[in-house]
Amino acid sequence: MIQYIIRRLIFSIPVVIGVTLITFILLNVVPGDPVLEMVGKYADPQTVQQIREQLGLNDPLIIQYLRFVFNAVRGDLGKSFKTGLPVSKMIAEAFPTTLKLALSAYLVAIVIGVSVGIISAVRQYSFFDHSMMIVALAGISAPVFWVAVIAQLIFGLKLGWFPISGYYSLKHMILPAIVLGTRFAASIARYTRSALLDVIRQDYIRTARAKGLSERAVIFIHALKNAMIPVVTILGMQLSGLLTGSILTESVFAIPGLGRLSVWALSERDYPLVQGVVLFTAVIYILGNLIVDISYAFLNPRIRLQ
Amino acid sequence: MKKSLLIVVLVITTVFVFAQTPKRGGVLYDYWTADRMIFDPQEDTYLQTYAMARLLFSTLVRYKGDTLELEPELLAKMPEVSQDGLVYTFELKKGIKFHDGKTELKSDDVKFTIERMLSPKGRGASKWLFEPIRGATAFMKGEATSVEGFKKIDDYKFQIILAQPYAPFLQNLAVPAASIFSEKLVTTAGDNWRLKPIGTGPFKLKSHTPNTEIVFERNPYYFEEGLPYLDGVVYRIIPDSTVALMEFEAGTLDVVTIPVLEYERIKKTGKYNIIEKEALNTYYFIMNLSDPKWSNPMLRKAMALAINKQELAQSLYGPRATVAKSFVTPGIPGAYSLGEGPAYDYNPEEARKIVAQLGNIGKVTAWQSGGDTLSDANVIIQAMAKEVGIDLEIIPVERAAYRQARNEGKIPATYANWWADIPDPDNYIGVFFGKGNQMSSGYSDKEIQEMIEKARVEVDPQKREQMYRQIEYKIVREDVAVIPLFHLKYLLATQKNVHGVIAHPTGITLYLYAYKQ
Repeated sequence: MIQYIIRRLIFSIPVVIGVTLITFILLNVVPGDPVLEMVGKYADPQTVQQIREQLGLNDPLIIQYLRFVFNAVRGDLGKSFKTGLPVSKMIAEAFPTTLKLALSAYLVAIVIGVSVGIISAVRQYSFFDHSMMIVALAGISAPVFWVAVIAQLIFGLKLGWFPISGYYSLKHMILPAIVLGTRFAASIARYTRSALLDVIRQDYIRTARAKGLSERAVIFIHALKNAMIPVVTILGMQLSGLLTGSILTESVFAIPGLGRLSVWALSERDYPLVQGVVLFTAVIYILGNLIVDISYAFLNPRIRLQ
Repeated sequence: MKKSLLIVVLVITTVFVFAQTPKRGGVLYDYWTADRMIFDPQEDTYLQTYAMARLLFSTLVRYKGDTLELEPELLAKMPEVSQDGLVYTFELKKGIKFHDGKTELKSDDVKFTIERMLSPKGRGASKWLFEPIRGATAFMKGEATSVEGFKKIDDYKFQIILAQPYAPFLQNLAVPAASIFSEKLVTTAGDNWRLKPIGTGPFKLKSHTPNTEIVFERNPYYFEEGLPYLDGVVYRIIPDSTVALMEFEAGTLDVVTIPVLEYERIKKTGKYNIIEKEALNTYYFIMNLSDPKWSNPMLRKAMALAINKQELAQSLYGPRATVAKSFVTPGIPGAYSLGEGPAYDYNPEEARKIVAQLGNIGKVTAWQSGGDTLSDANVIIQAMAKEVGIDLEIIPVERAAYRQARNEGKIPATYANWWADIPDPDNYIGVFFGKGNQMSSGYSDKEIQEMIEKARVEVDPQKREQMYRQIEYKIVREDVAVIPLFHLKYLLATQKNVHGVIAHPTGITLYLYAYKQ
């Protein structure tokens, strides 16, 4: 197992290099000068040139990229063009908030999604099944910012149950977690339902029922464990997605997470910060996928990690 | 009977006076849609940074209340100006302390501030403010070790000598980017300065949580007796203005910019104070004279006649907008009065005739700053152009790319807005159409550009104003280099218990005199 993990991590290195290289090329190909963004509307060429020199932007691109890689390997992601703060510090400050939001939303998504999926599968074609699948479809289709604003209006402004926006305490996390979580719950419910339906039609389930096992035991002990393999894949991908893709939720709820930091970095053309966030995000994705693969072995010992 | 009447009158008077007397204490909550992340107004020219600079720092002169009239701030009195308009003599108030309560403001700090902005090794983004000073150009090029035109008389008195007369110089000194820093404190702070500013302003920075909030607290050493009234000001960072309005209605924000669509509803509730104020801005459609198609003056005239400004302004901003007849905002010395001016009025028939004369001009292009889809304004402008037969394609371009192209003169045409930094025509005409402008106007009429140079240094105010009107007439009416569309008013709402908020025409909301009853 440890060998497998080490091998996977080694294979990830080219992926990380590829991601940073593509980001670097894109940042330099896309129009938009970071110095003009810093200086603003009265940019005079002399000041622009001076700042470019200070930031090392006049060096050849290959030198700039190698400098980034060399420093990143030593754990130094550079300093933000705009604030002058270490990029790693800015990411370290923003990430815990995103992590809290992602985990809270994840919890909401799993509890609601898996429960609804199981009930829908067990009671296939029932009123509950039909209505929940329609709700799930609506949940997947509705834009997250729209759902967020409606939730803020009803539960924040009209009923006053939750704070409308900002992040000052855990209470501020409830509404965004529900909005973000229910969205993911919708797709989890649909995956759980279809995976479970596939499994409960298998012969071994029929055998289990024939042996006289209770329906509860059949579903929870025999069917669910096997049905969870495709669901776990989705869950793993969704956790990575939640950690790196909650930009809209963070913006609407004014939560100071990684999503907003990356949008800010991009709009300011803060190259070191963009590079740092992308690198960090890539690592999160790789680790997320690795955890999913490892979890397969626990769910089904027949799957060998090779 | 008389006695009871007297008591009633006394009680009413006392209540009235009490209600009007500013109350000390309380924290005011405002918001920004984005966090600029730094606090150095020399380095960052965004309105947020300027507004925060008015809390943290002070300038030599400032605007009186919500007017465009200047008054001394760090100065003991308004500076004396020599007859030839070249020599300005200043005297600082004595005993002004920075936020540390120890460092006193002296003439050397003013010199340091000017030279820091102009330094060839620095990041000063508003060099134009001090560029008129004699020797500034040589200093900026690194050919001199100090700015020749700054003469220290003693710790509190100094002179600034200009290279040539420049009438709006004092207005330059009121721009927040001209805030005075302490040489000692800036040098000690080093790179931390932009994040940990120390000024002489009414508030000092207490904390900054990136993308969450910026907290300011009262400066106990502030040099104006009894001010500020508030204990603190908190700027929350709320990216979505709809959400900000919800926070305001829930009572968790004290001030909000009212979204246009919500204006009538908010006003009708009667629950809030509404502040409406004219501001120094012009929304315009500019065409690049060096663009192969827009270089045709007849096409530009047809475009000017095609836009129904009244309809455009009303549908976009309702009561916030006033139709523009001139590019320089009315109210500025040298500007046309409101409702007067050289811009063409809406005349679609005339526009159609011109387009017919032009024959097949094909597709013409304009750019939009940012966005995935066209803004409402651009959709309307495009439709109005189509009405008269102009096939206008508008391309959304990412903001940073747009800004770079504008500086390089590559934008073919665009709908945009200009918020002036100083109430002077040069801040419009000179910036957009002067020599070496970076606004993609493509304007290169040498005669007019020389006239702009002359108007800039003209000492006689009346003659100067006259010159700017002539220049603007030529640019807007004859050359149709820009189409002024409308001016936008400030539209703020505050909670009923909030008073003394100043919405200044320069676009900055001031809290020096604000209080919560």
